[in-house]
Amino acid sequence: MTVEQNFEALDQFPVGMRVLAVDDDQTCLKILETLLRHCQYHVTTTNQAQKALELLRENKNKFDLVISDVDMPDMDGFKLLELVGLEMDLPVIMLSAHSDPKYVMKGVTHGACDYLLKPVRIEELKNIWQHVVRSRFDKNRGSNNGDKRDGSGNEGVGNSDQNNGRANNRKRKDQYNEDDDEEKDDNDDSSAQKKQRVVWTVELHKKFVAAVNQLGYEKAMPKKILDLMNVEKLTRENVASHLQKFRLYLKRISGVANQQAIMANSDLHFLQMSSSLNGLDGFHHRPVPVGSGQFHGGAPAMRSFPPNGILGRLNTPSGISVRNLSSPPAGMFLQNQTDLGKFHHVSSLPLNHSDGGNILQGLPLPSEFDQLQTNNNNNNIRNMNNNKSIAGSSMAFPSFSTQQNSIIGAPNNNLVVLEGHPQSSPPGFPGHQINKRLEHWSNAVSSSTLPPPPAQNSNSIHHHFDVSPLPHSKPDTLEWNNVSSSYSIPFCDSATTLSPPSLDTTNPRAFCRNTDFDSSTNAQPGGFYDTLQTRQSGNYGPTTDAMLSSNPKEGFVVGQHKLQSGGFMSAEAGSLDDIVNSTMKQEQSQGDLSGGDLGYGGFSSLRTCI
Amino acid sequence: MQRQVALIKQSLFDQGYLDEQFMELEELQDDANPNFVEEVSALYFKDSARLINNIDQALERGTFDFNRLDSYMHQFKGSSTSIGASKVKAECTTFREYCRAGNAEGCLRTFQQLKKEHSTLRKKLEHYFQLARQAGPKETARRPK
Repeated sequence: MTVEQNFEALDQFPVGMRVLAVDDDQTCLKILETLLRHCQYHVTTTNQAQKALELLRENKNKFDLVISDVDMPDMDGFKLLELVGLEMDLPVIMLSAHSDPKYVMKGVTHGACDYLLKPVRIEELKNIWQHVVRSRFDKNRGSNNGDKRDGSGNEGVGNSDQNNGRANNRKRKDQYNEDDDEEKDDNDDSSAQKKQRVVWTVELHKKFVAAVNQLGYEKAMPKKILDLMNVEKLTRENVASHLQKFRLYLKRISGVANQQAIMANSDLHFLQMSSSLNGLDGFHHRPVPVGSGQFHGGAPAMRSFPPNGILGRLNTPSGISVRNLSSPPAGMFLQNQTDLGKFHHVSSLPLNHSDGGNILQGLPLPSEFDQLQTNNNNNNIRNMNNNKSIAGSSMAFPSFSTQQNSIIGAPNNNLVVLEGHPQSSPPGFPGHQINKRLEHWSNAVSSSTLPPPPAQNSNSIHHHFDVSPLPHSKPDTLEWNNVSSSYSIPFCDSATTLSPPSLDTTNPRAFCRNTDFDSSTNAQPGGFYDTLQTRQSGNYGPTTDAMLSSNPKEGFVVGQHKLQSGGFMSAEAGSLDDIVNSTMKQEQSQGDLSGGDLGYGGFSSLRTCI
Repeated sequence: MQRQVALIKQSLFDQGYLDEQFMELEELQDDANPNFVEEVSALYFKDSARLINNIDQALERGTFDFNRLDSYMHQFKGSSTSIGASKVKAECTTFREYCRAGNAEGCLRTFQQLKKEHSTLRKKLEHYFQLARQAGPKETARRPK
């Protein structure tokens, strides 16, 4: 997609809007296609979710909107929804014959921008373009409105976060409304304009988090953070907007207090989230605390988490992370513990999302990141434990999550997880790449992600996350770099990428996806992500149905999921192992997958997006 | 001929075999898509035949996995709704209720009914389309008043 193309398309908008329609029912699909054509949209259809993901990954700029059925055999519609939101940040509309409010709610929490009931009427479809505009509009505002946001960010964060991020968007919008006039840039313009896009890499984010921690979460102000970070070319606005996102993220995960705890860990997670936040309404926080290296062993660790549900989602990662922590702080992530450090986030991760197959959104990786941050020692990391195992597990998570959907925003998680393993590729992990990615991520993210949802239950889930175990210890970011696929996923949502114009210009659509990771030198998280994704998908595929419905793992995730508020992390210890194992298997088959299921093969594809 | 076609269509509506959704589909039919409705119907019947088969097999097994049956039926209902097959849809709903109640007997009975409705609709629609084709494309585009 070139900018020009985008422009053209936009010129006639909504005519020619490019829609991807996904529905396993041929009859419905055909009807939908015809209806959309009658609205003068440009339609691509597929009856398989996997294929849809592939198409999307192939070229992020190829589509403006995705419409997907909820019940599909190869992948749960909600999961697809999450993945799309995280990876591509495209608006997704859910379609279903279920009018049950629970489903609608699920759609909302997974980030759908609308939910339509079958049979769909053409009148309804005539208006769906608004979602595309809205999403672009929000993104624009987001990236340009650093200052103002900052000021009102707090309130915004406070208010909006409550509703699963939905409010966030609204809030943001409101804020934008008031202050951002100049921002008016439409997407098309933005590329032309001189918007400095900042890519919030893991490292950068780590610095950010470190600065925030140093100042104290409550007291953290963009200017001071900026000073502490001491990064060239970073403006106060960038920091402000990132801070806002971060706060939202924290709120989202923790759902309640404990933001501080989260802060420490949320690096990676946060980054992931933020990206998704932009597009989707909420972060998909799926805290998947990947961190605890002992993932494998993690199961036990997980147990420690109060199964209450919150943890459940977290999937073992949290459990794992906990393990590492010598003494997981009850309830709060170790805020400052170097190890756990940044887990706060983990705790609060709302597992609910897990649908998206997000693997580890909440991954404890963040904790690991922290460690990494502090140590940056490969050795340390290695020692850390089993971070690798975590990594392995992380992988597992992804799979896990996929199954369950509970894993919060898998994509993120995955990243997180991977990082953990910097050193060794996760057991059975086919993806060294993943490790690399993880590392990269961890480096970049420095743990943000996974704060296990603290709580909904007020369980101390949080603490576990602190497990900093992320083994990835970034030390090998290099590996990441190797991965070329641009992760671009949620990483820097606000991404104003400094990087090449390609990113920016490529398409207005690319709103901040910052996929530019690549450019930012960090390995492509994308790649990582992809792998994870793939894995997920992999898992997903085979297990999807089963998993969703009956896996024990799922149970944990799902169950937790229900918690909604955040119960992610409950990883079921037992299931973790399973998951890990399955993940491993998945990994093995990753090769296959990448073949094309997920289109993972697309590390590169991610890149293209940018 | 055309009148005949229109009458047949009207009767399908009157008898409740089809509902407004079918009309919507017809509205979508145009020069670019002259046989849209017929194509969609064909697709529907093909798909639903497969589904019916699956359900049949599942029922024959006698294990009555209600969840599974429910999900089959959900799918069936979805496509029936999309095409406007209202009687079939109604049977689907009934079936699902029995599923939820765990009433195997009810399920079986309803399913028989459903199959009957389904094949009746199929025949009628086939007949209708045949006539419509004979009558000429313009005719088919007309909607019953």
